[in-house]
Amino acid sequence: MSKRKVTLKIVLFLLVTDLLETFTQFCFKKSANLQGDFLFKNLGDLPAFIKPLLFSPYLWIGFISVFLTFILWSTILSKIDLSVAVPIASFSYVLVPLVSIYFLHEVVTFLDWTGILFILAGVIFVSMGSAKSEAIRQ
Amino acid sequence: MKANVLFIILLVFLTSLFDTINQLLLKTSINSLESNVNGIKKAFIFIIKLLSMPRVWLGFLFCCASLVVWLLALSKADLNFAFSADSMHYILIALASRIFLKEKVGFNRWVGTSLIVIGIILLTYSNA
Repeated sequence: MSKRKVTLKIVLFLLVTDLLETFTQFCFKKSANLQGDFLFKNLGDLPAFIKPLLFSPYLWIGFISVFLTFILWSTILSKIDLSVAVPIASFSYVLVPLVSIYFLHEVVTFLDWTGILFILAGVIFVSMGSAKSEAIRQ
Repeated sequence: MKANVLFIILLVFLTSLFDTINQLLLKTSINSLESNVNGIKKAFIFIIKLLSMPRVWLGFLFCCASLVVWLLALSKADLNFAFSADSMHYILIALASRIFLKEKVGFNRWVGTSLIVIGIILLTYSNA
């Protein structure tokens, strides 16, 4: 049985999910930057890599954001089908590069955007696949 | 790009692989339980049952490993590149669902997976 239709409230929820996901990755990147010069030789170096990150507020804010995303996402999925939710939620594939440009001063070239569009189209097709298999199961 | 792009792809692949293993362990655990979870009491029992399974905790370990490798990748790569490349977990999940869970992966999903592969190749080429 197909779930209720997508309301404006659900779309807003999905957009907040996109923003939270992007914010999470921004925070993780900020904390990982602390170890930008870390020389990783073998697995024994892992504790030395992780330790400073655990003291970074960015990492913990990122964790809180992951938790909030999870709650919001679970709420959304209880209201609409996954195949409808995923395409709207994959807006973060565009948001993350934008945040990377404006807040992390990264460079995103035309070829990068082309690759990102392919990925976005791919994610939408993948979720359409689940619409079909859900329909068959019912 | 600070580090070798293929090394970053390898790290992102490991992140996705560990996450896929986590998802497989979770999915097989959940499949082994009764799926009719209506009401708070049943949901609570469902979660307790899940938490009592060693498989779920093994999954949690892989989840942690995935996060550590992800942070390692982010410390070496641009966020926009690493995040886009991380979409390869869609490919691994499709393969794992097909091989280990014997789920049917439809035509649309293979088309989507192929588009993601092309996207990642373009990004890799662009950031090399």
